[in-house]
Amino acid sequence: MKCVVPGVNLKVFGRAIHSLAKIGDEVYFEPLEQGLSLRTVNSSRSAYACFLFFPSYFQHYDDGSREDEAGRNSEEEEEGLRCKITVKSIMAVFRSLSTIEKTVEKCKISHNAREARLVFELHCRHGIVKTHNLAYIECETLQAIFSKDMCPNKLSAPSKLFCDVVVNFQTTQEEITLTVRPESLSLKNYVEDEPDPNKVVHTELNLAPEEFDLYQVGVDTDITFCLKELRAILAFGETTGLPININFESAGRPVTFCIDSDQTFEANFVLATLADVDQSSSQMPASQRSQQAASTSQHHAKHAANSKQHKAKDVSVKKESKRKESTKTDRHRDQELNRNQPQPSSSAANDVDNMADISAEEFAAAMEAEEDWETEEQTENNPQDRITDQQTLQGAETDDTTQKEGRVTETNTSPGETKRKEGRVTETDTNLQGGWLGKSLHEEREVEEEEGEEEEGRNRGGLKLNGAEGRSSSSPVIPVQCPSSGKSSLLLFADEDIWSKPKREGPCLQPLDDDDNDDLDETIPGTPPAKKFRSLFFGSSQKASQSTQPQQNNTVLAAETDEED
Amino acid sequence: MLSTQQADDDSANVFVAKLDNARNVSNILKAIHFKDTATVFVTSQGLKVTVEDAKCVQANAFIQAAVFHHFVLTQDQATFKVNLSVLIECLTIFGSGAGGSTAAASLKMCYAGYGSPLVLMLEEDGVLTDCSLKTLEPDEVLDFDFCSTNVINKIIMKSECLKEVFNELDTSSDILQILMSPDAPFLQLSTFGNAGSTHSSFSKESDMVEAFQCTQTQSNRYKMQLLRPSSKALALSARISIRTDARGFLSLQYMIRNDDGQVCFVEFFCAPDEEMEEPDH
Repeated sequence: MKCVVPGVNLKVFGRAIHSLAKIGDEVYFEPLEQGLSLRTVNSSRSAYACFLFFPSYFQHYDDGSREDEAGRNSEEEEEGLRCKITVKSIMAVFRSLSTIEKTVEKCKISHNAREARLVFELHCRHGIVKTHNLAYIECETLQAIFSKDMCPNKLSAPSKLFCDVVVNFQTTQEEITLTVRPESLSLKNYVEDEPDPNKVVHTELNLAPEEFDLYQVGVDTDITFCLKELRAILAFGETTGLPININFESAGRPVTFCIDSDQTFEANFVLATLADVDQSSSQMPASQRSQQAASTSQHHAKHAANSKQHKAKDVSVKKESKRKESTKTDRHRDQELNRNQPQPSSSAANDVDNMADISAEEFAAAMEAEEDWETEEQTENNPQDRITDQQTLQGAETDDTTQKEGRVTETNTSPGETKRKEGRVTETDTNLQGGWLGKSLHEEREVEEEEGEEEEGRNRGGLKLNGAEGRSSSSPVIPVQCPSSGKSSLLLFADEDIWSKPKREGPCLQPLDDDDNDDLDETIPGTPPAKKFRSLFFGSSQKASQSTQPQQNNTVLAAETDEED
Repeated sequence: MLSTQQADDDSANVFVAKLDNARNVSNILKAIHFKDTATVFVTSQGLKVTVEDAKCVQANAFIQAAVFHHFVLTQDQATFKVNLSVLIECLTIFGSGAGGSTAAASLKMCYAGYGSPLVLMLEEDGVLTDCSLKTLEPDEVLDFDFCSTNVINKIIMKSECLKEVFNELDTSSDILQILMSPDAPFLQLSTFGNAGSTHSSFSKESDMVEAFQCTQTQSNRYKMQLLRPSSKALALSARISIRTDARGFLSLQYMIRNDDGQVCFVEFFCAPDEEMEEPDH
């Protein structure tokens, strides 16, 4: 693999690296046929960024896929080029952007397979060449599943507009709420609990639709997302001077920020949003977690189920945007998600380490999951296979799956179906009831983890845990979203079966292990389950019960029908 | 004891020097300030201030007699050790005046011989300061025995490009490897840190290189922490000369122009690190 970035484009390239550095701890580097992709996900998996630089951006671009010597096929060649580099290493190369702008004439990036190094050669003025041999870690592709086109709300404005807006908020402000109505848009700082009205500063800024290049509001909504990450996005946007396109749906669903420059590069940032407590089950759609590229898909679910503390941070989160049945995942890889439902499995890079609890199968599944994200199409085909592997897949064999879910199954009262993989315990469980299993669990886990970190366990927009599994097999697919803070959009969508299955009252999602739960709980500070998706899937009745407890049992789906009433 | 009257009495002093801008001396001394004590050698040519560390690295600052507008030495030479931190603080007692446009303090240095303190008198804008620094027994300084005849490779270049490279050197690396060769890469500085290895190569055709005399390919490693202090001198300098001898000892010479356009030199000697194996990362 070899590509050369000309000096004039290095500024943007360097800025992209800087913004990735502000979001996550590692940069996932993958040269694809359509361009060089740089991605990252934050530690709590609630923010995902992906830069794709098309071949026209480079002076020379060779992703190594056209290797035809010795019968080496492109796959092989590409295989070796899915890696991640720590932010620290790559920042050592692009630390001082002003110097780079002034002195570097071109940057050559190549892969030294023999020594397992990614080589960055900066050719500077005066005949100076700085060569950086960076160690990388091989990993799976990090892929988030999200849908830009299906979002009813779209905004487009020059980056400068948002920069001017964001500057009005305190630098310590963590999250902001964006409220859209057909006639106006407002941005407010988000205050979690109002401890003392005297101590809290509320900032609100209103914008008129005229200020935007495109202002399309399909659904009146309020979304809350992380301001810090938005600043990182705007820092990049500002230097390019290009307009930012924002696509979103409603609270709990991810919000996507896109900056693209036609033929040269494309940047997508997906942020999780706080799920609203009273959100209706419209959340279901798969991409609960917008952010996470959960690659872990299935196994995560299982993994989650174990509730071991997998702090799957590393695990790639696959974003499953799939709704229970819809495979809508946009770009997901079909991986594991196979669960019954075609889940967009994003093959997020998963770190094996996370998978600690994941069973071997899951791992295997996860690894396989990384496929070209282009090809994601629903894993339908795979799924079955995967599912078995994955275990998480719920659908596959309900009974088996339930087992697989391992932890989860326990929580799921419903056999098989409830696979909820949730591993994450509690949080997602609440909704889980049925089904999410597999992925969703995992995702939830991820989500939970993140959430815990981010905000006391709020669930951020949908994790897509979609358990999709259930469908076929009866396992209810309950997209469980992290129950914690209700962010997660949880995919929910319960199967008919789910309803019938007794759901777990208690923290369904919670992994069987108490420990796990505890941990998770800790990470996600008491987010009221209410927020959870609870009712989403099931309808309001459930919500009521769910809302009462955080994490806990989120009544989730069908769980006890008795209770429902 | 401190006695301004005595200071004025040149006969009691072995050495008296005066100059208008104390910064000309303080800046140079800051460039070699990585240890608390320094040995001062006063000869008819001027002052030489030496700082050493770990018996592996030595820095010398040469301030020629021409820099002072009054320089009198009654003996052949005078040698003493003094606390460099205190000396620099006294010289900059009126503020370091980074701007240069601020009024400069004028300086008078006196030394009455073995056992006497080093007396400084600084005046700026009518305010006078007297400092008396106790002197210490001068220890023997290392003699790196670095003579020009043993020099194998020598490169003289402009400091600009090196400054950046030095500042960006990977701090997680223990050693700095310097490769000098008549073939490509002609001059290469390498570090091996947590992030991987980084190499900065300088071509001999570069317009930054003023003189290139390399006879043999040599690659030596030096401990980063010993060479770090040289970056201060590098930052002040306009030109640098890098030389290595047959034993691998490194000599870095920096040409520093002071505010008045006078030239002073700072020299660093460093012993190579004898690594048994290649710690390539």
